[in-house]
Amino acid sequence: MATGMRSKRVAKERQKIDKFGLPPGIELVEGNDLKEWLFDIRVLDSNPIYDGNIFRLKFVFSDTYPIEPPEVTFIERPSRPIPIHPHIYSNGIICLDLLGNQGWSPVQSAESVCMSIQSMLTSNTKNERPPGDEEFVRGNKQRPRDIEFLYHDNTV
Amino acid sequence: MSKSLQLKEEGNRHFQAGDYIGADSLYSKASPIHPTSIIADPKNPALYTNRAMARLKLNHWDSVISDCETCLSLSPNNMKAHYYLAQAQLSLRDFDGALQHALEAHKLCAANNDKSLAAVTGIVLRCKKERWADREKKRLRLETEVEDRMVELLRKERDEMLAAVAPGDEAERKAIEDEADERMNVLRNVFEAAREQNQKKREVPEWAIDDISFNVMVDPVITKTGKSYERASIMEHLRRHPSDPLTREPLTPADLRPNLALRQACEEFLDKNGWAADW
Repeated sequence: MATGMRSKRVAKERQKIDKFGLPPGIELVEGNDLKEWLFDIRVLDSNPIYDGNIFRLKFVFSDTYPIEPPEVTFIERPSRPIPIHPHIYSNGIICLDLLGNQGWSPVQSAESVCMSIQSMLTSNTKNERPPGDEEFVRGNKQRPRDIEFLYHDNTV
Repeated sequence: MSKSLQLKEEGNRHFQAGDYIGADSLYSKASPIHPTSIIADPKNPALYTNRAMARLKLNHWDSVISDCETCLSLSPNNMKAHYYLAQAQLSLRDFDGALQHALEAHKLCAANNDKSLAAVTGIVLRCKKERWADREKKRLRLETEVEDRMVELLRKERDEMLAAVAPGDEAERKAIEDEADERMNVLRNVFEAAREQNQKKREVPEWAIDDISFNVMVDPVITKTGKSYERASIMEHLRRHPSDPLTREPLTPADLRPNLALRQACEEFLDKNGWAADW
């Protein structure tokens, strides 16, 4: 039998956000659907790479969420660019162990994922894309969580 | 293949296709005299639970109950019979019976590592919620009734006192009326305040919540980090990743221990706050 946990769990995350709010710099843009949410995030400390920018994150919750990770990508919109980062491809795919099947834990939530991504941007000092970005963006057909990323540079 | 097995498998096919009436009559041995009371093999418990499942889909609660009871008399530890019985009893508003059988099904699932554990945990929560809602409704109705009666008594007392006032003594009349009004107001306010108090306290303490499903826990189990999870949730996680959700250290179902004190605390919390079962 399928877990069927997703809708209740997502609904409860939503209730919690409505009740307690989100940390500074993170905002829920679209959260009425129980399958797909949109967040806007920005870096709070002054980081010259992201100064004044706001980025849009898309969360897709599969039926097996939270046993399996949500699919989280940056999406491009007018005035919502894809952030430059050595672990973020220019098509919005994020290379973060937390979002892979191995690094994920069901005690994580949409909010905690947003916070991890926010801090990943905050601490970044390299104004560059991952190696092989162009080729990857052209060739990739896999779903983000199934990609076996090579963590080229663990200092980031 | 025996005739009863044949009928059962054909019944299963009809069930899968959504033909519950067809499945019901195949699980029963179609007999022109007793079309539903005779079952192909009266000693086979699976036929009763399969038929109960078909009847559950048809909302034939009473016959679900009789099938489950027959099954339990043949095989007292049949998880499905307890599970279907709980659902039928819940529909018939027999909340205590439903909860008892839901818990029995839950115990069997946990003991046998049954994949239905998550669904059965859901039914336990539903039973608790609906039982609480029913009690709450009755309590509110009783309170309102008591309130109305008290007001009526005060009114009666006032009318008796007014009848005894000397004709023309308007000051005395007024004093009696004012005093009675004040008493009635106090009474209404006290009841109203109690009702508001009840609405306000709707918060679920963190310790009662499973960090995976975000539900109030029914059967918390503890890991070696000291953190507790709902058994159904952590089992679902361990089936995919045998690791501790917090530390990622190896963790297997055999490492889990029931957290009895927390279980009791959650039980007591839900008894008083059944609304939280759907928090």
